[in-house]
Amino acid sequence: MAKKKQILFPVLFMVVLTAIFTFVLATINEVTTDIISEQQELSIQKSIFYTFNISLEGLSDQEIQDKFEASFEKTKVNDRTYYTYTKENKVQGYAVQISGKGLWGTITGHVAFSPDHEKILGLNFISHSETPGLGGRIDEDEFKDQFRSITLDREPYFSYGTDIGGNVDAITGATLTSLAVRDILNGEIPKILEEAKKEGFYEGN
Amino acid sequence: MKAIKEIFIKGVIKDNPIFRQILGICSALAVTNLMMNSLVMGLGLMFVTGLSSFTVSMIRKFTPKHIRMMVQTLIISAFVIILDIFLKAYLPDMSKALGPYVGLIITNCIIMGRCEAYAQNNTPILSFFDGVTMGLGYTMILLFIAFFRELLGFGTVFGFQVMPESFTPWTLMIMPPGAFFMLGIVIWISKNLFKNDEGGVTNG
Repeated sequence: MAKKKQILFPVLFMVVLTAIFTFVLATINEVTTDIISEQQELSIQKSIFYTFNISLEGLSDQEIQDKFEASFEKTKVNDRTYYTYTKENKVQGYAVQISGKGLWGTITGHVAFSPDHEKILGLNFISHSETPGLGGRIDEDEFKDQFRSITLDREPYFSYGTDIGGNVDAITGATLTSLAVRDILNGEIPKILEEAKKEGFYEGN
Repeated sequence: MKAIKEIFIKGVIKDNPIFRQILGICSALAVTNLMMNSLVMGLGLMFVTGLSSFTVSMIRKFTPKHIRMMVQTLIISAFVIILDIFLKAYLPDMSKALGPYVGLIITNCIIMGRCEAYAQNNTPILSFFDGVTMGLGYTMILLFIAFFRELLGFGTVFGFQVMPESFTPWTLMIMPPGAFFMLGIVIWISKNLFKNDEGGVTNG
């Protein structure tokens, strides 16, 4: 004769087991929250240093954080965080986060511009889901370093070598990702600059 | 000792999860474009499979049979979340590279397969060892596939340039089709290399 299925014991068993595991996970989560948010903060800081072309070679994580605290001021205005870079009491530029649609997913990065809004100082990506080896090569310095000190005296700001008057080179074999990056920059930078000007992150005439 | 040796041979060759049981293929296809990713994924899987099997085996005497799958899923997901938190906190670059695949270890059939097939009927220590060995079998195949994909696709091994500068990378190898080709070749080779000694029909 088949045994009748128990009900109470399985339910209790599951409840107790779930409670134990939830407790364990919650504890681990609590312990590591600070470390995780610190790591995320650190990756943002490294990215911003990169946009200003400041070498961090040989610095420990702690030294990078201290250096960041010393040279950058973080201001949050309308959901956008401005990082003001000051050196010798003089504003050297501003960096903000930039993001937009890539080929496969959102591309997020940082862009730095000069105090007079005339130049883009640098560009860096912190997350994207482009194809490794193809679009993923936007992560390579060779591509990103092209965006250093580009004067914004024309519309659109960026175009690739094959276009008339192109000022940067696209990635061979990753045309769609390259175009996506160009469109994000050309679309977002004017908006960012306009807002920055309004909010006072601007020094010039 | 004999039991352990037997588990080892089974996990790595005779019942290798990838080329014998064809389990865990999804992640094997996804993360093998770089050797480093494969290694971390493999270690993660060994950790989760080993400890899940251990825990399932520990409570196997008390677990009501008809809710055992629910219990196993709970245990597996708990360990995967622990792994995910660990990677985020201590290996953030790796966590970023593996992206969603760490979370997807939960759905890796190898783990539940081992819980059901082995841990349910064996002692905790042996189950733990069985889980780790199965993970090892998985890791080895992943590294094997990743070696060729990374070498041909990027010209590197573990990030070190080994191919001459003039080598043109086979981009196809690091895209999804490359994974399918390599996996097919691995299964083909292993079928011929390790003949099924039971003489029965293979269900690969």
